[in-house]
Amino acid sequence: MGGSSVLCSVVGPTEVKIRDEQLDKATVEVVARPLVGLPSVKDKAREQNIRETLEPILLSGLHPRTLIQIVVQTMKDDGCILSTAFNATILALLDAGIPLKSILGSVTCIIDAQSNEILLDPTTEELAQAKSTHVFVFDNKSSIANNEDIMDQEELLANVLFSDSTGSFSEEEYFECSRVCFKAAQAVHGFIRTAVEKKLQKEYQQQE
Amino acid sequence: MASASTATPATTAASPAFTFSASTFQKLHPAEYFRKFVSQGVRPDGRLLNGFRPTTVHHGVITTANGSAMVRIGGTTVVCGVKAEVAEPRLDAPDQGYLVPNVDLSPISSSAFRPGPPSEQAQVVSEAIHRVLKESNVLDLKDLCIEEGKAVWSLWVDVVCVSYDGNIYDAALTSVMAALGNVRIRNPTYEEGIVKVSGAEDLSDDNSFTLKLARTLSSATFALFDTNLVALADPNFAEESVSQGRITITLDEAGQICALSKIGAGASSPALLRQCLGHARERAQELRQLMKQ
Repeated sequence: MGGSSVLCSVVGPTEVKIRDEQLDKATVEVVARPLVGLPSVKDKAREQNIRETLEPILLSGLHPRTLIQIVVQTMKDDGCILSTAFNATILALLDAGIPLKSILGSVTCIIDAQSNEILLDPTTEELAQAKSTHVFVFDNKSSIANNEDIMDQEELLANVLFSDSTGSFSEEEYFECSRVCFKAAQAVHGFIRTAVEKKLQKEYQQQE
Repeated sequence: MASASTATPATTAASPAFTFSASTFQKLHPAEYFRKFVSQGVRPDGRLLNGFRPTTVHHGVITTANGSAMVRIGGTTVVCGVKAEVAEPRLDAPDQGYLVPNVDLSPISSSAFRPGPPSEQAQVVSEAIHRVLKESNVLDLKDLCIEEGKAVWSLWVDVVCVSYDGNIYDAALTSVMAALGNVRIRNPTYEEGIVKVSGAEDLSDDNSFTLKLARTLSSATFALFDTNLVALADPNFAEESVSQGRITITLDEAGQICALSKIGAGASSPALLRQCLGHARERAQELRQLMKQ
């Protein structure tokens, strides 16, 4: 996404350590690695964010007593690492063929301290100028519905899967950001769809 | 309340009458046990869905620290101590001090915690508190400067959990804010590479200073339970272990949101978030009253 890039690998379902084994579902492990140096507390927080958002989406009941390991490696950091990581993870999960309930798309936005405007997908520079930062994840269940309906019922459909905001902002600003990001997330879902379509097409051609 | 073991084989063959005591049922099917309560709009401990547990705040419980507080939310007890130490500033911020929060979830507080390096939960709570203090500019780090480029105060904000019964973030943040509120540091003087402070017995405004906090944060956490997403205010340990996600809202005294996070569970509607925000505002009001000395 822009100047940021995240490499994500998915291994699984594979053998699980007996200590982590769950009898009724797969264990999900997320390992977040920073650009340089050893993983810090921030990476731990990112791991938890990704894991707890994915757990309800993965149909982990299909693979009991196994491990699904997701490694998220930051390659380039120019803001919105968490959003980029979410989008990379979902693409990797699709590629690995792990059964999913829905597909998620993540968007970050900021409210600029000076102009009070909402900026989507900010860079590191823009992040430094932000009054508040908001990360949203939406699933694609709502985008399947008729497009015209969405415009009318955005307030009803913008069901947020994950949201993380810091800074200083009012309730109205938060929901405005949520609306803007919801629209942007539709584009992310579209991108994921074309990416998967292209990949399948290529594979199909190679088989012939 | 008859136990299943008392039934004779002859009767079980006809109709297996399985009756458990409530506590057995709770152990076997914790989520189902909990669902039965929630469907009636109450929780096993008698609270309503949006009820918070009784909360107390004690200021200045540790005399050897620069500032301290003890916070109790139901069965969760945390002690926060702030210690000021002289340190060298970073090169890229020569006039800024340090504010280092750390949350310790030690094994004495709950059987869920193991000894050894900090657990993921402890690290995540520490990071969340660090981030909310930093991003919402609670304290101007330039106030901690002693001599630019040479010496600054480093505030070690240590939160120790004495007894754990869920909702550690709210308890930790409340204790941190209360402890920062009563920090008193001796006035330093910088001479030729040595920082000196007055050794007077009692501290007054003449020989020491307090921190200017730009805002007071108070937070409310809600556990999200089940797919139809019921928000339970101030979850205890048992509720945390059966819930799938949570919403945490941090507000300042002006009603501005300083942090909002929703993690786990299914997709939640804006209506649910608005409802939680409403409850969080009421709770923030209550906490601010408690935090006043």
